[in-house]
Amino acid sequence: MARHRKYQGAEEAMPALDISSLIDVCFLLLIYFLVATSIQKKEVDVPLALPAAAPNDAEMPDIDPLFIKVDANGAIFTGAGSSQQMLDTDTSSREVPQLSQQLQLYVAGANSGGKKPLVQIWVDGGSNQQRVIDVLNALVGAGISSVTFTDLVD
Amino acid sequence: MSSKLRDAASANDEECALDMSPMIDMVFLLLIFFVVNSNAVIVKQDVKVRPPIASFGKKQEDKNGRIVVNVLPDGSFTTERGEALEDETAIFDMVKKAKEQNDLKGYKSKLHLRGDKDAVFKHSRKAIAASAGAGVDQVMFATFVTSK
Repeated sequence: MARHRKYQGAEEAMPALDISSLIDVCFLLLIYFLVATSIQKKEVDVPLALPAAAPNDAEMPDIDPLFIKVDANGAIFTGAGSSQQMLDTDTSSREVPQLSQQLQLYVAGANSGGKKPLVQIWVDGGSNQQRVIDVLNALVGAGISSVTFTDLVD
Repeated sequence: MSSKLRDAASANDEECALDMSPMIDMVFLLLIFFVVNSNAVIVKQDVKVRPPIASFGKKQEDKNGRIVVNVLPDGSFTTERGEALEDETAIFDMVKKAKEQNDLKGYKSKLHLRGDKDAVFKHSRKAIAASAGAGVDQVMFATFVTSK
């Protein structure tokens, strides 16, 4: 019996890890994330270089830039003067298939000649932001990075 | 010692202990959920502005150098902190000041334009023109990838 009691005493003195500080740290981190997190949709960028950032006269491109016009109703045109073509007019759709197709052709033509595609955009002041972004989105989708607004001064 | 007293003494030895392991499991699960799901805030988003949709938008990576201008549906402008910008002159002054601070820190300034999808583009154009006047020629249009 005496030997048994001695064995029990040794078992009670077993080393144990105190995890209370670990739990404290976990709770602190949890509270931090609970407080700091806000459920918001993630925004993405559609980049644009202004004319000031475009190449200067010494580096003028040797390809005719594609001219895109967005009117007050959101209709999209390409070309200027007599060669002007009306493309996408459905402002409720975020897709601009005709413009995208034309951009693909333009990019293919530029690449085959070893030139860099360049686009100039003219937007009517009455057009809404979403429609302009539709056009810029199509340009990003076509891989065109040289884009300038030609209408920054009314 | 009577048998009753002995029983009471042995009951005192068995301390009432709370099993913490399920709670720790739950805390770890919540912690992992938040660590995985959280995104670093690039700019403060004004909820009054509903950005347009652009499926080819690029992930916002660099926080430094961004100068935020919100364009509200009614055409008014605010800063990232929600301070009103009366007109192009106010935007010009704000952008110029922010650019100077960014230049000191060695950051390349860019206009982070958060235009509402229903705002008329002429207002955004005013902000872009004012920024260009202040020497900021890179514009980042804030958009969402999907409407959902």
